[in-house]
Amino acid sequence: MTQPTAQGPLAGINVVELGDGTSGPYAAKLFGDFGAEVIKVESPAGDSSRRRGPFPDGRPDPEASGLFMYLNTNKYGVVIDLDGKSGQAALHRLLDGADIFISNLPAKALDAAGLAPAALRQRFPRLIVTTISPFGPTGPWAERKGDELVTYAMGGMAYSTPGMPDAADDLIKEPPLHPACFVAETIAGVVAAEATMAALLGRGHTGEGCHVELSQQAAMASLQIRDVTNASYVGSHYNRLLNPITIGRMPNFYVPCKDGYVTVAAPMEIHWERLSQMMGDPDWARSELYATEIARTANWVTLRMKIVEWTMTLTGDELHALAEQSQLPIFPFYSIRKMANSDHSRERRTLVEVQIGGKAARMPAAPLKMRATPWSLRRPAPRLGEHSTAILKDGMAA
Amino acid sequence: MTQSSPRPLPLKGIRVLDLGQFIAIPFCTLWLAWLGAEVIVIESRRRMTSRTAPPFAKGHEKEPNASGYFNQLYSSKKSVTVDMTTAEGRDIVRRLAGVCDVMVDNFSTGVLEKLGLGYEAVSAINPGLIMLSNGAFGRAGPMRNARGLHSAVNLFSGVADVTGYVDSHPRIQGGVLPDPLSGTYSGFAIMAAIYHRQKSGQGQFIDVAMHEAMLTLIPEAVIDLTLNDVEPERIGNRDRLNAPHGIFRCRDEDTWLAISVNDEAEWAALCAATGHPEWAGDPRFATLAARRQNIGALEMDIEAWTSGQEMHAATDLLQRAGVPAGPVLRVDEMLDDEQLNARDGVVTIDHPVAGPRRQMALPWHMDSLDVQYLRAPLLGEHTHEVLTGLIGVSETDYARLEAGGVLS
Repeated sequence: MTQPTAQGPLAGINVVELGDGTSGPYAAKLFGDFGAEVIKVESPAGDSSRRRGPFPDGRPDPEASGLFMYLNTNKYGVVIDLDGKSGQAALHRLLDGADIFISNLPAKALDAAGLAPAALRQRFPRLIVTTISPFGPTGPWAERKGDELVTYAMGGMAYSTPGMPDAADDLIKEPPLHPACFVAETIAGVVAAEATMAALLGRGHTGEGCHVELSQQAAMASLQIRDVTNASYVGSHYNRLLNPITIGRMPNFYVPCKDGYVTVAAPMEIHWERLSQMMGDPDWARSELYATEIARTANWVTLRMKIVEWTMTLTGDELHALAEQSQLPIFPFYSIRKMANSDHSRERRTLVEVQIGGKAARMPAAPLKMRATPWSLRRPAPRLGEHSTAILKDGMAA
Repeated sequence: MTQSSPRPLPLKGIRVLDLGQFIAIPFCTLWLAWLGAEVIVIESRRRMTSRTAPPFAKGHEKEPNASGYFNQLYSSKKSVTVDMTTAEGRDIVRRLAGVCDVMVDNFSTGVLEKLGLGYEAVSAINPGLIMLSNGAFGRAGPMRNARGLHSAVNLFSGVADVTGYVDSHPRIQGGVLPDPLSGTYSGFAIMAAIYHRQKSGQGQFIDVAMHEAMLTLIPEAVIDLTLNDVEPERIGNRDRLNAPHGIFRCRDEDTWLAISVNDEAEWAALCAATGHPEWAGDPRFATLAARRQNIGALEMDIEAWTSGQEMHAATDLLQRAGVPAGPVLRVDEMLDDEQLNARDGVVTIDHPVAGPRRQMALPWHMDSLDVQYLRAPLLGEHTHEVLTGLIGVSETDYARLEAGGVLS
C-alpha cells in the first residue's frame, strides 16, 4: 500500500468515521482532504451511498458509485459488524488514540453498539465526539424521522425557492423547490467540520475532549441570516412571487435570453442609466412609464416584457460582456458542462480528475485554496473493507 | 447547567482583523466571534455598507446603529472606525494586521493591494498571519475580477442546473446561500490554518471562491456528466432513486408538506396513515420501480390527500406512522419552530438602540466549551480602546488623528 505523507494543515490528526450517506462522511472527508488520517468504518452491508451512483454507464457496482467515491476519498476503509461484542471492542481499539469520532448514525444505533456519546466521552477523555442527527437528540422532534428533503424544508430554504431575483408568477403552480442534490446534508457536513475544528482548538485550552452535537435542521436554518433578519426586524418575509414587495426596486429580473437565462439588475438610477445605454437608449426607456425608480417599480410587469425583448436578441455571454464594461450586475446561467469546461474552472482546478470503475471522471475539488498547506488527493475511496486486515489486525495504519 | 469552573471559549486568544462587507465574510467572523475570537471590524463613516442597509428598527430608519443587517451579522464583534482612504488610516490598519492572528476580506480582487494591505505587504510585517480572501469567483483565474452577487454565483456554480420544476428551465435558490455557505467553509479553513500554525509557526494565504463552495452541493450531477456524458435534468422535488419524494400543497394558502419515502416500510406506513390502503395494492404503486414509472399519478393522488389537510396536523399524523415528513417553514415560522427553540437554536440578543431581536444561534452544542452571544457594537465603540490598548497609540496622537478625520 502506498502511503504518501500527508502535508495538509491537519496532518497528524486521527479521525474515525462511522457515517452513512453524505453528512457524516463529508465532514470526515474535509478532515481527510486537508491531511488528517481518516478511518471509515462501514457495516458489512456498506455505506448506502455505494448503492446510489452515478455508476459508469449506469451499471450498479458498489465499488464504482460516483457519490461514494467523491465523499470518501482520502480515507482508509474497514468493515466492523457492530452487532457483536468483538466488533464493538474493535471499534473501541480504533478510538483509543484517535482525536475525533464523527458519526451521523441514529442515536439508537450508537447506543446499541456501546457508542453512546456520554460513554465515549468517559472512556476516551480527550476524544472529540461529533454526532449529527436530523433534529438533534433532545426536544419534541428528537425521535422523528428527517432526511435531506425534510430538513431542507424545515430549515427555511424550500419556501423561498425559486428566490431573488428569480421568482414565481404563481405561488400554487410554482411550489417550494428543492434542488436535486444533497444541500442540507452537505451543509450539515461542512458545519460539523467547522464545529469539530472549534472543539479541537478548544481542547488546547481544556486538555479534554468534547461532545459536538449537531442538528441538520438547525445547520440549514442557521444559514438563513438575511431572511431571518427581515422577519426579526420588520416582520416581513420573502416569498417566491415576482413582485416588488419581495424583489425590491426594479428592474431586478431573471429572464430568458437568446441562448439561455440571465439576471438583469439595475435597481438604482445610476444602474438604470447604464442599462438604458446598453440597450441603445431606446425611446420607451425615457417614457414617463419608466423614467423614475418609482415608475419602474410600479410598471414592472411591462418593464420586464420590454427587457425580455432586448435580452432575446443577445446571448448570455454577450450580455455579460456588455455588463462587465458597464459595471452592471448581469450574469448568465452556466450549465454544469459550461462551468466545468470554462477557463476559470480549469485554471483554478475547481474540479479534479478521478477514476471511477476504471473510467475517467471529474469531481469537485476541496473548495479552499490554502497556499502553504494545500489539500491533496492522496488516495481514492476505499473498497469495502479494503484496509480491514492492515488496520484491525496489524494495528493503526501509519 | 451548573459548572464548577466556567467552560472556556474555543477561540479564546485568537484575534481577527475583519475587513469584510456584505454577508460572506461577516457571517464567517460572526461564528468566530461567537466561538470566542476577538473580532476587530474596520469601518468608517465614509464607507459604511451594512449599517446603511435595511431593515432598520422601527422609528430608527437610516440610523447606523439600528440596521438589522448590521446588528445581526456583527454580534460579539468590536467596531473600530478608521478611514482607509487616508495614509495614516492605512498605516493604522497595517499596524493592527501586525498584532492579529487572522485577517479576512471580501473586497473586489485587487482593492487591498491598491491600499498597500495585500497579503505580500501584511505578511512582511507579520509572517505568522493567516489571511483569507473570499470572493464570488476567487482571487485567481480569468474571472477573478468579475462581479458576482449571490444569484450570479448560483448561476455559475452549476447548482441552478439541477434546480427546477420537472422538464422546466433552471431556477435560482432562495436566500443568499453562496454567502453563508462560503463563510462557513472559510471558518473551517481559518481554524485548520490556526491548528497548523500552532504546530509550525507558519502563516498563510487562503483563497475562497463562492462558486466552488456551491459546487460541493452537486457532486452527483458533476460526476454523471463527466463520467457518462449525462446532462443534468430538472426533476422538481423528486429524487433520482426514491419515490414518493416531494412537496405537496396543504389546505391553507401557500402551506406545503415535504414527504420523503425511503423504503417499502415507509411506503406502507404512508398508505395506511393517509387512509389509502388501496395504494399499497395498486400495481401502479406496488414497487419502487412502479412508483417511479407512475410518479405523476402518485403525486396527484398524494396531493389530493394533502390538499385537505392542515400542514402541521398532517405532519404529526405521518410522523407518528413513521413516515419522514415535515412542514415547509417560512423563516418567521422557523423562528417560532418548537424543535429549534427547544434546543436553544434561536437566540435573543438585546441592543441599546434596536432592542431585543431574535436570530439563529450556532447550530450545535458543546459539552466542554462555551459560546458567547453579545450585542453588536455601536459605530466606533471600540476605536479608542483598540488603538490605545492594542497598538500603543498615545492619547496625544489619538486626539490628533481624531481631529484630522482619520478615525471618522
